[in-house]
Amino acid sequence: MMLQEYLNAPLSRSEIATIVKNILISEAHINIRPEAISEDEALHSELLRITSLSFLGIILSLEEALDISMEDELFMKTQFRTVGDLVNFIDQLYRSR
Amino acid sequence: MSLTQTRFDLPPGEMPTHWYNILSDLPFELPPDLPPQGGTHSADSLKVQVPLELIRQSTSKKTEIPIPDEVRAIYGQWRPTVLQRATRLEAALDTPARIYFKYEGNNTSGSHKLNTAIAQAYYYKRAGVKRLTTGTGAGQWGTALATACHAFGMDCKVYMVGVSYRQKPYRKVIMQMYGAQVVASPSADTQIGAELLASNSEQGGNLAFAITEALEDALSREDTRFCIGSGESYSILHQTIIGLEARRQMALAGEYPDIVIGSLGAGSNFGGIAFPFLRDRLRGESQVRCISVEPSACPKLTRGAYRYDYTDSSGVTPLQKMYTLGQAFTTPDIHAGGLRYHASSKLISALRHHGYVEAAAYQQRQIFASGVLFSQTEGIVPAPESAHAVHGAIEEALKAREAGTSPVILFCLSGHGYFDMAAYDAYMAGQLEADAVITDEQIAESLRRLPNVPNS
Repeated sequence: MMLQEYLNAPLSRSEIATIVKNILISEAHINIRPEAISEDEALHSELLRITSLSFLGIILSLEEALDISMEDELFMKTQFRTVGDLVNFIDQLYRSR
Repeated sequence: MSLTQTRFDLPPGEMPTHWYNILSDLPFELPPDLPPQGGTHSADSLKVQVPLELIRQSTSKKTEIPIPDEVRAIYGQWRPTVLQRATRLEAALDTPARIYFKYEGNNTSGSHKLNTAIAQAYYYKRAGVKRLTTGTGAGQWGTALATACHAFGMDCKVYMVGVSYRQKPYRKVIMQMYGAQVVASPSADTQIGAELLASNSEQGGNLAFAITEALEDALSREDTRFCIGSGESYSILHQTIIGLEARRQMALAGEYPDIVIGSLGAGSNFGGIAFPFLRDRLRGESQVRCISVEPSACPKLTRGAYRYDYTDSSGVTPLQKMYTLGQAFTTPDIHAGGLRYHASSKLISALRHHGYVEAAAYQQRQIFASGVLFSQTEGIVPAPESAHAVHGAIEEALKAREAGTSPVILFCLSGHGYFDMAAYDAYMAGQLEADAVITDEQIAESLRRLPNVPNS
């Protein structure tokens, strides 16, 4: 794969998961590596302590990091329980750009 | 006899098309919100309560945020609001100061709160929400949201603090006229309310509990979201239409204010009138002084600490850095119910911390004396909350008289007091009790219970 082709290649789901986890780590003000967070981890667990308000800040950070934009109507309909739910939602949105 | 012009009206076509976002001009970063300490949600999944568009507005660095046409169309029912010069008040005070006020009470809600309620309801509607719940204390916010929901064809349920529900029945009637369901909090409509009623303990309710009931309601229905009120950064943004209009009207009067004054609950009417002028100061183009006025019974900006605290009593909200008396602080009963919040918004707090905002606190009897004087001279009965700004303006005008200066003073008359006649009645009958004295020890005790955030 040529360098330019590599740079323009879409992110994989695993790369998106890492971006999501890094932003969760930053928001939760915790010092762990992204791979230490399981996709089964609940967003409001003792580890992450994400609230519905702080969650909105995370979504805005993801919009900026991945150059995506979320419509409120779709976003407010979706229920997010785990890190995996969020990764799946963002991955789908990213691929439908 | 020639009449001095005292009214300065903007034609409807000159209503601002954008709100002013002060974040774009701040020479400092706001301290980040922090996760709550220890509190966890019992809900299985996160149910987002606020549309992203409102959060985008709270974090945007753009100077101007467009006001949607649908919102402007409804604003047009009562905006632009009038700017008046208070010449009779000036004469009564025998002051060389020139006093102007921007009146925000000329709408159904009777206060500035409709400016943000309309905008918020619009964004919720666009997000597909069919029904909003909220908590209200004295009823101004509940009235504003009921009006806004009706305008956009949404259902609304208001949990009104029980004691206010009984003391201010006409607020309830207005909300019902706009189709809102209004219940006294604590209510039997929620599990937490029913439990409290069954325990036969505190029945009068308080705002934190009404909010908790409104949130439980919203979490129990898919079509419903909880609308928190008027202290958020996006609320202050929506209120900047007050100051934007006032800038143009002051120019019509050939004036620019030396001092801008607003009463302070969480900060939305103060920020609304002050920020468009503070912009000039932040850009080095003016030396305008912005003074917030609060009750001495709830002296958050004058005696509180700039610390991280919860924004309500649930203990599960993110921590925000703000001037606070501590969420454990119990504000004594005062008639300016809208100013009893334990803290100031993080935006106003940061501006205070960095020296851009001044603060003053006054006793309730002083406030009502000024409210009566303003009614007699200018013909509008101010809400007790708004009378704080009136009093602040009078104090500055009297200082000017003593100093022999003639500053231009502008204040926000945020609402009328026609639902507060019981309070004025008590004042006129000499039955208004002196404010409880808040001791340093009381404040220190409350502040000791603040969350411990290292290096903040």
